[in-house]
Amino acid sequence: MTTPPTPPAEASASNIYDLGYRRYEGERLGRRHAVLALYRESLRGAFGLGRSAASKVAPAILIAIALVPALVQLIIAAVIPIEAELIRAEDYYGLITLVLALFCGVVAPDIVGRDQRNRSLTLYFSRAISRTDYALGKLAAMTTAMLAITLAPQVLLFAGNALGTQDFGRFVADEWTQVFPIVFTAAIGSTLIASIGTVVAAQTPQRAFATVGIIVAFVLPLFIASILVQEIGTEVLRPAVFISPLDLLDGTTVWLFGGTLKDSVAAEAGFHPATYLAGCLVITAIAVGLLLRRYARVQA
Amino acid sequence: MSVVQSTGLSKHYPGVRALDELTIEVQPGIVGLVGANGAGKSTLIKLLLGLIPPTAGEATVLGYDIATQGPLLRQHVGYMPEHDCLPLEMNATEFVAHMAQISGLPRTAARERAAETLRHAGLFEERYRSMAGYSTGMRQRAKLAQALVHDPELVFLDEPTNGLDPAGRDEMLDLVARTGRGLGISLIMATHLLGEIERVCDQLIVIDGGRLLHYGPLSEFTERTQTLDVEVTADAPRLGERLRAHGLDVTVEGHHVLVSLDGAPPFDLIRDTVVELGLGLVRIQQRRRTLEDLFRLAPEAAIA
Repeated sequence: MTTPPTPPAEASASNIYDLGYRRYEGERLGRRHAVLALYRESLRGAFGLGRSAASKVAPAILIAIALVPALVQLIIAAVIPIEAELIRAEDYYGLITLVLALFCGVVAPDIVGRDQRNRSLTLYFSRAISRTDYALGKLAAMTTAMLAITLAPQVLLFAGNALGTQDFGRFVADEWTQVFPIVFTAAIGSTLIASIGTVVAAQTPQRAFATVGIIVAFVLPLFIASILVQEIGTEVLRPAVFISPLDLLDGTTVWLFGGTLKDSVAAEAGFHPATYLAGCLVITAIAVGLLLRRYARVQA
Repeated sequence: MSVVQSTGLSKHYPGVRALDELTIEVQPGIVGLVGANGAGKSTLIKLLLGLIPPTAGEATVLGYDIATQGPLLRQHVGYMPEHDCLPLEMNATEFVAHMAQISGLPRTAARERAAETLRHAGLFEERYRSMAGYSTGMRQRAKLAQALVHDPELVFLDEPTNGLDPAGRDEMLDLVARTGRGLGISLIMATHLLGEIERVCDQLIVIDGGRLLHYGPLSEFTERTQTLDVEVTADAPRLGERLRAHGLDVTVEGHHVLVSLDGAPPFDLIRDTVVELGLGLVRIQQRRRTLEDLFRLAPEAAIA
């Protein structure tokens, strides 16, 4: 019987650990690079990239649902050889209002809540970035994530409508003015929803609370504004539309696409559509202010 | 050049002076930051990292002002917090490389450094495993790796052996010593365990109730005292009397006869007296101060 060879003494663990460690002499790119790295990693996390398969499911499903109306338009345009514009760009956010709120409710607690849950804020704040950098990096990631369900369906819809026409060149020549409202409303809407979502999610490390909080923050004002403006509808209560971010977004979108407000809270309230855009901007500014304040104070 | 310099650095919370008028100039090396729980160790570290603003006073770390140059300073400083802080759903390589980028390293360099640092921390084999499956010791190593990945000049370690079993504690202390001595990185290690300080540190900061009790080289704390410890198997009081008769200043503690020295130690006299009395001699040793002595003194009487 042979005995197994004993490993040589120098193969002890401590010797292995010491191999290859060198001091770093390369460049240090500073704050801007650090914030971009934070942004990239947060954005990947929002879609569950680099995470478990389970964390990819919810965002993927919600994006798919948000794309359904645009896909329907695409399919109809492909099958029926007549010019049929069933879904108009300015109505799109109205069709997917709840999906917007749900997507924000799923993704924002991931983008901002995860670091609080893991207590890893300390690791970020003890590095090359400031607390404000961190908050803005996270907000930028959330805003970009929102574009997946604001800008992407609009682009798909535009493409669908373009393919549905007999004369592609004429459609583009006629409709290219739609490009500005498509991009602008997607940017306004994404920033508005992302800023509200992140500020709510930043209040708690608990994912479930954050999700519920975000959905309530969007849906409850919809109900209240609807009751006060549409059901009761007195002159004094009309400004209630300004408590509801999604109604303001609706009013802004219809206006920017050059449509007419009808059958909506924004239409019933009867303010000039520009005030709805101003409302979106004010709410965004307040939410960003609160987000920065939260991260200036949160314990690290 | 000193790694930390502070003047009148204070942090007050309502009803609590977490840190009070700390003035210190810390030299490079492995520095123990010792004090009871709640003495102000973590507060001091967070102030020096610029994580919390001071109530009063000022400080520089590696020459950078903590109040105005926070992000710049933190590119050159590492921090291993006491509490859990790892995103357990990530693997160690991804996490440590990400942290390197947040410290300003380019992406490729960040990945290379992550691998090297994890190797240094002894996690090379496990670097692609999700950290959720790591033991406490491995998690502590991953925390140390993220603090070292950007090759800082100074690292703050807050209770690095917390929650580790004796073997894990030994490994972590070895790793700390190798990082400080082998790589020439200065470390400030907060702990309330004096044994750990004695094992790895070459300097010591003692704080108590938010105030600085002492700062200096560790050797100052453990230098030989002017007391000769004579341990015998029995009858120490009789030996004490006999030595007193020879004019020595003697106190007796159990089996120990403590002789106060004034000049050369009277080894021969003691040996002969022990033989005369027919006692067993266990040891004759000049006493060293231990860190425990420091804490036995009332704070106000300590060597401030």
